[in-house]
Amino acid sequence: MNIVFLTIVLVLAIASLTLKKSVASLISFALMMLVLGLYYISLDEKLLGLFQIFVYAGGISVLMLFGITLIGTEFPPAKKNPWTALISFLFFVFIVALFWNNHTLLIAHGTGIIESKELFAKSYSDFVIIFALIGASLLYGTIKMIGVLKPKRRKDV
Amino acid sequence: MFEVDMIFAFALFSVGLFGITSHKDFLRIFFSLEMLINAVILMLASSAHYLGLPQNLPVAYMFIIIATLEAAVGILIFAAANKFTHVSVPDELSEGLNK
Repeated sequence: MNIVFLTIVLVLAIASLTLKKSVASLISFALMMLVLGLYYISLDEKLLGLFQIFVYAGGISVLMLFGITLIGTEFPPAKKNPWTALISFLFFVFIVALFWNNHTLLIAHGTGIIESKELFAKSYSDFVIIFALIGASLLYGTIKMIGVLKPKRRKDV
Repeated sequence: MFEVDMIFAFALFSVGLFGITSHKDFLRIFFSLEMLINAVILMLASSAHYLGLPQNLPVAYMFIIIATLEAAVGILIFAAANKFTHVSVPDELSEGLNK
């Protein structure tokens, strides 16, 4: 079952990079995030799946749509450089080979399949201060940026 | 099944890497960045589930939050730069600012 989910994710990821129309590409990206969220839910990581769907399929997609409406949908075509595809493929082969040689060590360190109920409440509180600091600093940056974007008022003569 | 998840995560990471190196427009660069981050989140989630490493899940939540904020700030910065330079490609921003 997870092969089906992940194959759909991969196809949608490639489609979001290769489709020419920006909005179609954005829809493909949002669908990819939705399927990934459903996959996490099928793994019994329900909170992570819901986070994924709300944040990525909802929030970030709308943010990207906002960016497209501000900047426009006309973009130059991708560079036709076969080396980039080759380097990416070689990287994939290298990292799979590295993983395949060492994955028995990883599995030996694990403790088996777990139930993740109430895990969020127990361990998430450790990160609250970090989240608050990051959120506050980025919110400050966002407000300053909106100030830059805001048109200056002309003084009446 | 852990191995299958990891191989798909590596594939997603490679697609993101390809997108970053081959595209010029800000939209596809952001998509590729999100794919890189999501590949890492997939690795963390599958290792938490299959290997019994629950300490990976809070890191995955943190990654999601940081990725959201990064996208928000990145788009705002690019929108602000676009307003002054009227350039829609990140590579040409410095030329647009020098005009």
